[in-house]
Amino acid sequence: MESNGHTPAGQPAIEVIELSKRFGDFTAVDGISFEVPRGEIFGFLGPNGAGKTTTISMLCTLLKPTSGRATIGGYDVERQSSQVRREIGIVFQDTTLDDRLTARENLIFHGEVYGMSRGDIVTRAADVLERVGLTDRAGDRVLTFSGGMKRRLEIARGLMHSPTALFLDEPTVGLDPQSRRGLWSYAQSLRDTEGVTIFLTTHYMDEAEACDRIAVIDNGTIIALDTPSGLKGRLGGDVITVSAADNEKLGAEIKERFQIEPRAEADGLEFRVDRGDQFVPTLFARLETPIDTVQVRRPTLDDVFVELTGHQIRDTGAGEAEQARYMMMRRPMGMGAARRPGAGRRGPR
Amino acid sequence: MATITETPAVRQAPERQRIGHASSLRVVRVLWYREVLAYSRDPARIISSMVMPVLMIVIFGEGFGRTINTFDEGINYRQFIFPGVIVMTVLFNSVFSGVSIIWDREFGFLREILVAPISRTSIGLGKLLGGASIAVSHGIVMFAFAPILGVHFSVLVIIELIAVLFLFSLVMTSVGIAIASRVKSVESFQMISQVTIMPSMFLSGIFFPVNNLPGWMEVLVKINPVTYAVAPIREIGLDKELIATAGQSVVGVELFGHTLSVLESLGIVAAFGVLMFTIAIQSFRKQA
Repeated sequence: MESNGHTPAGQPAIEVIELSKRFGDFTAVDGISFEVPRGEIFGFLGPNGAGKTTTISMLCTLLKPTSGRATIGGYDVERQSSQVRREIGIVFQDTTLDDRLTARENLIFHGEVYGMSRGDIVTRAADVLERVGLTDRAGDRVLTFSGGMKRRLEIARGLMHSPTALFLDEPTVGLDPQSRRGLWSYAQSLRDTEGVTIFLTTHYMDEAEACDRIAVIDNGTIIALDTPSGLKGRLGGDVITVSAADNEKLGAEIKERFQIEPRAEADGLEFRVDRGDQFVPTLFARLETPIDTVQVRRPTLDDVFVELTGHQIRDTGAGEAEQARYMMMRRPMGMGAARRPGAGRRGPR
Repeated sequence: MATITETPAVRQAPERQRIGHASSLRVVRVLWYREVLAYSRDPARIISSMVMPVLMIVIFGEGFGRTINTFDEGINYRQFIFPGVIVMTVLFNSVFSGVSIIWDREFGFLREILVAPISRTSIGLGKLLGGASIAVSHGIVMFAFAPILGVHFSVLVIIELIAVLFLFSLVMTSVGIAIASRVKSVESFQMISQVTIMPSMFLSGIFFPVNNLPGWMEVLVKINPVTYAVAPIREIGLDKELIATAGQSVVGVELFGHTLSVLESLGIVAAFGVLMFTIAIQSFRKQA
């Protein structure tokens, strides 16, 4: 495919310097800095309310930063918002399609408002539809699409104008497992064929694994930025989970014999050692408490997250940042409002 | 983490490969087209918005027409309210077309529009023209009642009516956009629109002549901009001979002892329109 040669080579696709956003007393994003080179899949990983959506909104010119700056393809998000908007494609958490129009009509509309030529619109629409596997549904109204198909169509639309960077805000939320996997293979093939930089936010660890690099964000600050394997490498060793009839007694014994402080998890006690394969025989040999189950595994990003933040990623519910997002988007909250005739309402998530 | 030591220079005019700057005209056109296209796929809305005016003509026309004999000379009551009901149709549909902004917001599509590299003014203009086109098309459908009611529309009259209705519709669609940009839910939009539409409908001379009313009511009628759209539509729409027989005062609006001509009335509508248009675009630009 053709490259999107908007930006000179070497210029990072996204550059963020000391970016902050405050809503009143609440600091949603607290002086973050990072750089995303062109063609990278960059993941923003963190719990709900960590500042992911606020960051993406600032990068997409929808929110004014309180301080700091950011550039997309070299354009400043505050001072050159119009240029930035042409450099980016966005897939929001919630659907932003007109479901009374067909898939192709949604793409044509997009091409028109982005100032593409008529000829380009036609060829490019066919192109991106093919890419997300919706060619045979091009003439169908979006009303008839499943959640996964809508998301793919939105990605296709985000690519219509060949942006430097494609932003995906929680792209797989609300999708079934099959659609989620499909979306990931699309994202990777897009990067490979279009050379587009992909910036995505997620609170799913397994999704973050598919990124080239991950920034772990918690409470508005980036607490780690590395490749998935690099992050896991920081932990080293293996994770061992053991359970017994009396986990408390088992824990005390492990602490006494091995000077290891195990953490209580849902399926038993968890701790890390350098060599799991060698440690397990020792464990059995030296413990008196009868062990019911034992599990040895490589550390996951979940473990990294717990290590970095001291809490599980799913612990945090929708916090203030989430509320701030709603205020910012000014989305009507009342459900059961008068329906738009002829249109199906999105189900609540 | 990335280390950044210097601020990169802000870049100037880019070379575009495939996307240029969409001209405002093009943006307005595509937004207009989308409104009309989406609307044309909504038969329920098309049909339901025709119910009210038809009821008005049939029930008011027949019911009141039997008892009100004011204009036995020349114009009957059904003929009298017919042009007014056309205006009413356009009034309702214009103001209510603003709801598309709220639906776009609720269904998310508004964000697709707002993040595009286009000006909010062109977005507002596209919405305005789309809403007005749809509203006027409803008014045009009402023309079909003319033969049944014994009113003759020549081609010239039809063209004039459409032009005046379009002007009026731009004004009232602006009102709808101004409301929609400021409220968050469909319910509040509908409530505020009703409160706006009802008095301006009843106090506009759609159902009765405006020149021999009690003083307080005459003041209300004459500060109502809709009054100045009803009068020209009625004057254009009804046969000249009929008006002549019934008397000009049945049709025209008297202001400070002077009966306004069609153009004078339209001037008032246009002036109010400029005001409402400014407010509408300002409100639309300001919304998130």
